[in-house]
Formats: sequence, C-alpha cells, structure tokens
Amino acid sequence: MLDDPVLAESVRGNVLAGMDELSALDAARDMIVSMFGHIDDEYLAARSDDVRDIFGQIRDAMTGNAVSSVFKAAKGSILVAEELFPSDMGDLDFSSLSGILCHKGSTTSHVCIIAHAKGLPIQMGVEVAGIRDGDAVCVDDPVFGGVPFISARVRTAGRKLYVNAGSVDEIRAGIAAGADGVGLFRTEFLFLGRDAMPSREEQRALYREALAACEGRPLLLRTLDVGGDKMLPYMPMPAEDNPFLGLRGVRFCLAHPELFRVQLSAVLDAARDVRESHPLWFDAGTPLRLMLPMVCSVEEIRQVKEMLSEIDAGYASLVRVGIMVETPAAALEAASLAAESAFFSIGTNDLTQYVMAADRGNPAVAGQYDPYAPAVLKAIALAVEAAHAYGIPAGICGELASDPKATDILLSMGLDSLSLSRL
Amino acid sequence: MVCDTVILTAPTGLHARPAGDLVKLVKGFTGSTVKLSVPGRSVNAASMLSLLSLGIKCGTELEISVEGGDEQAVVAAVRDFIASIKE
Repeated sequence: MLDDPVLAESVRGNVLAGMDELSALDAARDMIVSMFGHIDDEYLAARSDDVRDIFGQIRDAMTGNAVSSVFKAAKGSILVAEELFPSDMGDLDFSSLSGILCHKGSTTSHVCIIAHAKGLPIQMGVEVAGIRDGDAVCVDDPVFGGVPFISARVRTAGRKLYVNAGSVDEIRAGIAAGADGVGLFRTEFLFLGRDAMPSREEQRALYREALAACEGRPLLLRTLDVGGDKMLPYMPMPAEDNPFLGLRGVRFCLAHPELFRVQLSAVLDAARDVRESHPLWFDAGTPLRLMLPMVCSVEEIRQVKEMLSEIDAGYASLVRVGIMVETPAAALEAASLAAESAFFSIGTNDLTQYVMAADRGNPAVAGQYDPYAPAVLKAIALAVEAAHAYGIPAGICGELASDPKATDILLSMGLDSLSLSRL
Repeated sequence: MVCDTVILTAPTGLHARPAGDLVKLVKGFTGSTVKLSVPGRSVNAASMLSLLSLGIKCGTELEISVEGGDEQAVVAAVRDFIASIKE
C-alpha cells in the first residue's frame, strides 16, 4: 500500500498546492479514506482502518513520534484502548495480555483477526473513557465465550449440538439456529398454571407440533417432571419435609398412573401422526425419544415400558426410551440402567445437587454446589463409560453444557451431544 | 483502447492479497495503462488503494480497459487473472 501511486500523487499534489508536508499527508489520508466511505460491505469497508494505520505510521516516521515498540504489562492484564491499528498489534506482548477492550473499530477489522489468531479475546465498541488503571473489567467476546465457541468445539469434535426447549417456538428457533435436535423438551409447562390436567388430544397436538418442528431430528421429550418445587394444583400433592428427596420426576408419574398413562398415550399418538405425515423421518430412525427424569432403578424403566406396551404393544417402533442421569443412584448403577435404556442424558443441575448434597437454591452452600467438583465429574464419567459399553449415546442437557469452560472437559469425557439452553 | 468484461467469483470479494497480486501483474505491463470500472467509477488498476476502495463484492461485473502496449494481450491477462481469483 505504501507503494501506491495514488498515495504518492495525492500527497505530492497537496504539497504543490501549497500545503505543508503533514497537512498534505493528512489531507491525502482523508481523501483516500473517503473513497472507502460508500462501500456497503462491512468487511471491505473496514479496510479504511488499514489505510489510516499506514498514514499514521508515515506520520510517526516523519515526526519522529513513533511509540516505543515494547509494550509492557503485568501478566493477565487487559489492554484498554480508544483505537488500535494492525501495526500496534505487532508491538504487543501477547503473553502478558488476557484480553483487549477497544472503543473504535469493527469486529471484522484486522485488529480483531490478529487478536483471535493470538488466542486473545477482544471486544470492540466499548466506552473506554471512564476506565482507570487497575479497574476490574471483563471482555465479552462471543468467539471465545458462549454459544459460537461451544458450537465450534462440538462440531470440530464431530459431536451433536442440541438445544433445550420448553415450547414449540423455542424448538423452531433452535433448529433455525442449526441445532441437530432437541436434547430436552420440557413437557411440564403444559401441565403447570392451570386448573385441570391437559387432555390427551391437547397433549397429542403439542407433541405432534414439537416433533414436526424438529423435521426428523431427534426430539428428547422429557415426561412430566413435577414434584420438588413444581406443584400441580389439580393433583393431590401433600407437603413433604424434603420435597427434592420426595415424590418427583418419574416417581410422581408412576405413583399417578392415571395421569401418566394419558401422557404416554398422547406421545404415542403424536408419533403415529407424524410417522403417517412424514414416513421418511421414521425410516431414518426413531426421532422421538422418551426421556424419564429422576430415575434411580431399573425397575422404574421397566414399569414405564410395561405401561407403554399396555397402550401399544408396538410402541418400540414409535419411541425409544432413555433416562436422565441425575441421581447418584443412576450414576452408580449406570451399567444396569444402560442395558434398559436407548440413551442417557445427564442432567447436571440435579446431579450436582444430589452428588454434593447441596441445595441449588441455598446461597449458604453455593460453594458446595459445584458442577466441576471431582465427585460430579466422576459421576458423569461413570454414566458415559457405561453408556458406551452398551453402545448407547450419552449426552448432557444441564446448564454445564452451556458453560464454555466445561466444553473441552465434556468433549474429552466422550459425551456424544451437548444440549444448550439456547443457540 | 481495448475493453473486456469479467465477473469476480471470489466468494468474499476482492481482498487485499488478490488485489496486491493484481497490482503486481498490471505494473508488469510497463507500456500499458490499465483501468478497472464498476458502474459509476473507474480506477487505475495499478493502485491497490483504488482497487480496494471499489469494494468489489462477489458477482460484480468489472470492465477492463487497456491503453498502450499490446492491448489485446494485456486485457486477456487481466481478465484471466480476475476470473481465477478464488479466495
């Protein structure tokens, strides 16, 4: 770019017109930058930053103002700048930096590209004027944190990226964002906040719509998960001293077969409906997966399967039955449960609470409620190993799946899918 | 003067690296002046800044005009080069 005839000619022209050298340089810069002003492509338009960078370097060379080429910062520092140019990046000691905050510049600039190539998070468009030396600041870079990072890692590892959903709209949004399926479809929302149980037809319509929205991708439909802190006003749910150790999840459903039978029937109805309207989705495998919460024993899975076969002896061609691994019993007995399951999905929220004996909602034991605790990770590992020994997939649908710090750990443990709270 | 047209098919448009390569090619034809035009603007193809300032996106039709030297050969070389940009 320094060799460019337009650059030299415009500076020369300005000098001949009577400007001093620096003014001639600045006017040439403004003229060339303005040539980029009309470009409607963000990436190509951002090249005007590179032009200003080059002119800045020429100016520094002319005035002798070149900044010190060695940038020193304490280890772990975050660099805060009004504006950075690609040439500045060459002067940075990246080993001492943990991130960059910058006011001006676009996220497609060369500065961002270089920072990312160096493994450094960078956030542009930050109002930096009020930040003082020593302030604690945070860098929010979607490339490093959050969904894009997790999804890139999951894809690179060849695993599945699922989304959790509580409504058909959320399923549609997740599929539109590229999800390979729904790793957790919560059905309790249909049951909560009303005076009577939803009818078989009402449930059938919802499940059918949910399954259709997945367009043949897996839908892990979790059977009614109430009890604990979720109460149904139209069901007898007497107060319990320890509701989280009480009648919740699949236990509640098995204790109320009249209610559970309606849900299971509606699920099979919906599967039949969709198989009829879209046979290809079922030819490629069974997209509908029935996921049982709070399972502690093989007996519970067998009871559910028995109910299913009472409703329809051929249920196995409509749904596959698997479980959530979220109790210590399920992790410890993972091998025998895997023998009866078509899949495992690890619910890390409850698993952490039960393994660590620490109430999720109690701030006094927030330190004990730690999904990274060795005991929790061991429980996850037990479940994954048992699943793979029986040739069934093991995924994760708890909040840990949405934590970018956990992504590499989970992938290295062999989890086949990560289901995120949103994509 | 000889003219021809070519469509840029590089998916992300004309970037600095291919633009720089184009400038090198054009500067090699010392006896010729090469201009590149999009509707409404025409620039010297020996100036990288000018080329980049056109903001040429994928699918843009460019007109090449050459004055001086072996006009036919230069037009063909520039056209083939632009058509071959793939990144």
